[in-house]
Amino acid sequence: MKFPPQVVEYLQENFSADTRPVCFQIDSKYNLIEIWGDTGWCGLDSAQVGSDMLELAPYLFESLDDTPNVIEFVSPPCGAVAHVHIIHCDNKYFVILLDAKEEHDSIQVRQQSVNELKLLHASQQRLIGRQRDLIGELVETKAELDHLRKEAERSSDSKGQFIAMMSHEFRTPLASIMNYAELASEPSVPENTIHKSVEAIARSARHLNALVEAVLDDAKLKAGQIELSEADFNLYELLSDLSAMMAPMAADKELSFVCQIDDAVPKIIRSDEVRLRQILINLLGNAVKFTVEGGIQLITTYADGRLVSSIVDTGPGISSEDQERVFRAFERGGAASDTGAGLGLAISLRLAHLMNGEISIDSALGYGCTVAVNLPILVSADDNSSQTSALAAPSENSYATKPVSVLLCDDDEDMLALTEHYLHRAGYGLIVSTSGDEAVLKVMAYDPDIVLMDCNLPGISGIEAATRLRKSGYTKPIIALTASKLSDSDQACFTCYFRKPAPMQELLTEIKLLTH
Amino acid sequence: MTSITSKVCVVGDFAVGKTSAVERFVNNHFSDKYLTTVGVKIDTKEILLPEQNVSIKLIIWDVAGAEEFGDKEFAYLRGASGFVYVSDGTRLRTLDSAYKIREQIELRYNAQPNVLLLNKSDLAGTWQAKDDHVSSASEKFGAVYKTSAKDGDEVDTALTRLAELIVAKDLQPVQ
Repeated sequence: MKFPPQVVEYLQENFSADTRPVCFQIDSKYNLIEIWGDTGWCGLDSAQVGSDMLELAPYLFESLDDTPNVIEFVSPPCGAVAHVHIIHCDNKYFVILLDAKEEHDSIQVRQQSVNELKLLHASQQRLIGRQRDLIGELVETKAELDHLRKEAERSSDSKGQFIAMMSHEFRTPLASIMNYAELASEPSVPENTIHKSVEAIARSARHLNALVEAVLDDAKLKAGQIELSEADFNLYELLSDLSAMMAPMAADKELSFVCQIDDAVPKIIRSDEVRLRQILINLLGNAVKFTVEGGIQLITTYADGRLVSSIVDTGPGISSEDQERVFRAFERGGAASDTGAGLGLAISLRLAHLMNGEISIDSALGYGCTVAVNLPILVSADDNSSQTSALAAPSENSYATKPVSVLLCDDDEDMLALTEHYLHRAGYGLIVSTSGDEAVLKVMAYDPDIVLMDCNLPGISGIEAATRLRKSGYTKPIIALTASKLSDSDQACFTCYFRKPAPMQELLTEIKLLTH
Repeated sequence: MTSITSKVCVVGDFAVGKTSAVERFVNNHFSDKYLTTVGVKIDTKEILLPEQNVSIKLIIWDVAGAEEFGDKEFAYLRGASGFVYVSDGTRLRTLDSAYKIREQIELRYNAQPNVLLLNKSDLAGTWQAKDDHVSSASEKFGAVYKTSAKDGDEVDTALTRLAELIVAKDLQPVQ
């Protein structure tokens, strides 16, 4: 169907005014055959018959086809925008370009707004997501703060409980010591009463000492001040010592005590004997303390480099709620909340962690309790060597076997008297002084074979006194007795030092070693 | 030296930086102003590939952005020898669009040499594409580049790599 000439003329006039059609004919090699129309707007000004139209209209590349092809909104580098129509005719192609700049710009404005809105929306979504994350973090932080606040409150409560408990725990043995001391010092008291009083005083003092040690250990562990001291020792002897210690305590309560050692357990191991002993004493002590009937077993096994000592008791057991709590300092299980400092398990657990080990509890209320200490250990290459237990029983081997004079300096009369007693009994000749100045004078006058010097003295300190002695040419051993740790520089003028209260046996052994 | 002319289409979601990447590649220029592309923008650039002893003229069709393609967009892709997929590293959704478009194109035209540009690497603070995204994309696309049309980082490298892939395919002996 063909339009009437008037319609064609109308369309040409009006349609052409808007679209400024350009038409050109090319061959299949993109060479220009003929061109019609106003070519200024579409960058084809320079087009001449024979021109390579691929240079001027690169969009033609791979666009020629047997069927009509329309490519809308084509923007070549010249800045124009055209609808490109390609018509195949007798191995040639007519290409018609219609100016679409106005339509393009109009669509672009609308599309730009839509896209910017979408970008804004995406940005908002990101912000909302971030806000949600921040709220989540805030909630987590708040929960963490609540947890920390509760921990702090619990810690504060525990400290309050600790002070109240310590006040009670310390006052009881202190009162016992004071009362028995007064009793023993009364005139005409029978000798066996004095003897019983002294025993009671010694018992209370040991209890006090254990309490102080426990509190100090706990504080040191918390502050990370305890260092392990690993050495080879005889594990069987340690377990034998513990059995010897615990069996009578169990027997006093009519409880059985069994110590089982698996065949695989090595005899000589490398670990910190003192700390292992401390852990096991704490756990065994608890088992004996809380078990009313039945018995306690200490079962030790070894596999894959790990030593496992299980303390099995037939006591009241620990509820699952209390099992975590009992490992916290100053807290005790519900069933046994009326006795003990509540430090033993906390210290044991910290020590086990320090030794890269673990302590676990398997228990239920009414069904006894199994506490297992699991520690990595090294088996000594010399598994048959005989070792001496660190806490070997005192022996008379430490007594003097030749005349030795000891200058003992301490301002604490009781401590002076006590040390004097043991040194006398071990056969040492004694010179005593109660101040640093006096000690220096007496050493210069009597030249003793060894000096035992308390550090905290009235007037010049024991450290100053020892320094003066060294400067004046005294070269014999000086042992420091101190309640606090000595710095390296302070240790320089001493041969060695003992922390107070010094274990007498060890002190006597050291004196003998240095003087014989 | 062999001379080749190839049609390359640059495709991807809107506002990922397709036009900016082409502008950086062709004219070594960047404009901060975002201007939506309508239809298709045509540019050309000739690259010398000395190792392959080829001079390749790329006719670059920068196609308007879309999350997925319809008939209108496919009309622009006819005869393309390679594709540059572009996504915005600060908008992970645009990486999904790149995957979707790639699937559509390969369904219609089979697999062609291609590279993926994870663009806007200069916006490190809001960058969402992680290493695992890059490694996953590397399994699907011919090569993946973290690019910045703004700074020019890796744009030339990516387009040159695409040219190499096209030449390697074109010069392959016919079986």
